[in-house]
Amino acid sequence: MSWETVIGLEIHVQLSTKSKLFSGGSTEFGAESNTHVDLVDMGLPGVLPVANKEAFYKAIRFGLATGAEINQESSFDRKNYFYPDLPKGYQITQMTKPIVEKGSIKIATDESERVINITRAHLEEDAGKSIHDLFEGKTGVDLNRAGTPLLEIVSEPEISNAKEAVAYFKAIRQLVIFLDICDGNMAQGSMRCDVNVSVRKSGNKDLGTRAELKNINSFKFIEKAINYEIDRQIRVIESGESVVQETRLYDSEKNETRSMRSKEEANDYRYFPCPDLLPVVISDKELKDIKDNLPELPEEKRKRYIKEIGLEESEAKIISSSKTMANMFEDASSKTNDAKLVAKWLVGDISALLNKDNIDIEESNLTSENFGKLIERISDNTISGKIAKSVLEDAWENGTDVDEIIKTKGLVQIQDESILEEIAMKIVESNPSQVAAYKSGKDKLFGFFVGQVMKETQGKANPKSVNEILKKLLK
Amino acid sequence: MDKKTVTTISYLSRLMIDKEKEEKIVQDLDNIIEFVDQLNDADTSDVEPLTNPLEKTAKTRSDQITAKNLKKELLEIAPSSNDDYFLVPRVVE
Repeated sequence: MSWETVIGLEIHVQLSTKSKLFSGGSTEFGAESNTHVDLVDMGLPGVLPVANKEAFYKAIRFGLATGAEINQESSFDRKNYFYPDLPKGYQITQMTKPIVEKGSIKIATDESERVINITRAHLEEDAGKSIHDLFEGKTGVDLNRAGTPLLEIVSEPEISNAKEAVAYFKAIRQLVIFLDICDGNMAQGSMRCDVNVSVRKSGNKDLGTRAELKNINSFKFIEKAINYEIDRQIRVIESGESVVQETRLYDSEKNETRSMRSKEEANDYRYFPCPDLLPVVISDKELKDIKDNLPELPEEKRKRYIKEIGLEESEAKIISSSKTMANMFEDASSKTNDAKLVAKWLVGDISALLNKDNIDIEESNLTSENFGKLIERISDNTISGKIAKSVLEDAWENGTDVDEIIKTKGLVQIQDESILEEIAMKIVESNPSQVAAYKSGKDKLFGFFVGQVMKETQGKANPKSVNEILKKLLK
Repeated sequence: MDKKTVTTISYLSRLMIDKEKEEKIVQDLDNIIEFVDQLNDADTSDVEPLTNPLEKTAKTRSDQITAKNLKKELLEIAPSSNDDYFLVPRVVE
């Protein structure tokens, strides 16, 4: 029996505004507990929320970048539930008239490229944080995060496996970073995701019963949680039972999902229009201003790199897929005027190191500035490409300044041709039989001489000069 | 409206209802709904849904931090707190 999986993602993106969605409280991460709490965030009697325009502008940027419809008039609703970190007893969200509807985004996995449709993206406020393990018999509540603006991005249920779900999440993450609307920091919870998973027999038109997976905060866990859940649902159905529609919690330590029974009864949120808030209207002029000031997006960068800079399609794709990498590329290119060399290093050695360490470029020790220096030193012949590899490894491991590494390790390339000539002469003289063989037509031996000179100079010779000198000597 | 709906809603709203009043509340709510239901008789096919009776749109804020640190004052007015957190009976998932 073959099975088909249907997945939809709800991604919560913390918008990088300075203040909260409905109050002048700060959104700073990691502050002392309960120091960024405004009276509105507390939900004290008599307060009135006032919407932060910047949150709308950021949401609109996302909408425009995904080719979505922007609702210039959008409104707020109350989602009612009780939880200690939700002071008002309801969350203000956009149920009936979200700011963004019907967008799409291109995703790429190893196997294929495809477009995933986005149903809607709406503004809502975040809750505070509950701390369960600090106090005997009590839960502590920190309301610093309460009221922080979130953009909830809801995909259509058309993602077909765990790998695609990860690719979709990554594409959204890079886009919001490019748009400068979210820092994309997963460890700090700036992006969180709920996953709806269902399975059905291949060819079946109707969707199966879905389970909602909560509490997933890394790429790795998205993939693992989905794969676990698919297997679980197939097992359930094959044993003759049926999947229950429910919320399940992913436990990364045990790599399993389990039912959150407590959420079941609360699943009636009794939405209604928030009487405290009037509809927010975005003028044509505001919309045009946002459109005109939209930054260059990955797709546009990719095209420009190919057309104007002459990069290969594959290079342009890798470099434009991350804002940090694109910035490194553009900075180093403008310093050295050798964009192709920069691209070669990013796509080659840097990508290899990223794969080896299994990290994103933002997590590496290599700064854009330091990378720029490395390329500069190659392009001004201070170091050879071969030496550059070892310099890069050092800078990668320890974050050490490239010039510092070159200086302390004495790696500066030998520019003085007379020194190289002397060394080359010595090599030629001490290998008479190889010289004879080369002269009798064994051309391949030329590489042997180059290798010997490089070895003698510990890789510090400029290979081009060595080639020229040896050609002269062996004529 | 029936008893079960009333108990569900009272649970969701965290409102306690005396057992002996349940019957009366069901009756009252039925009356209210019946009264409001008259609105369904009006022909609204050409009318835009009303999100707000004020027919105005919202004033908004610019993205400025205006809040002061009220940690001490806010924790003090809570029924239960320590130096850093509001405290509630343990909630465990």
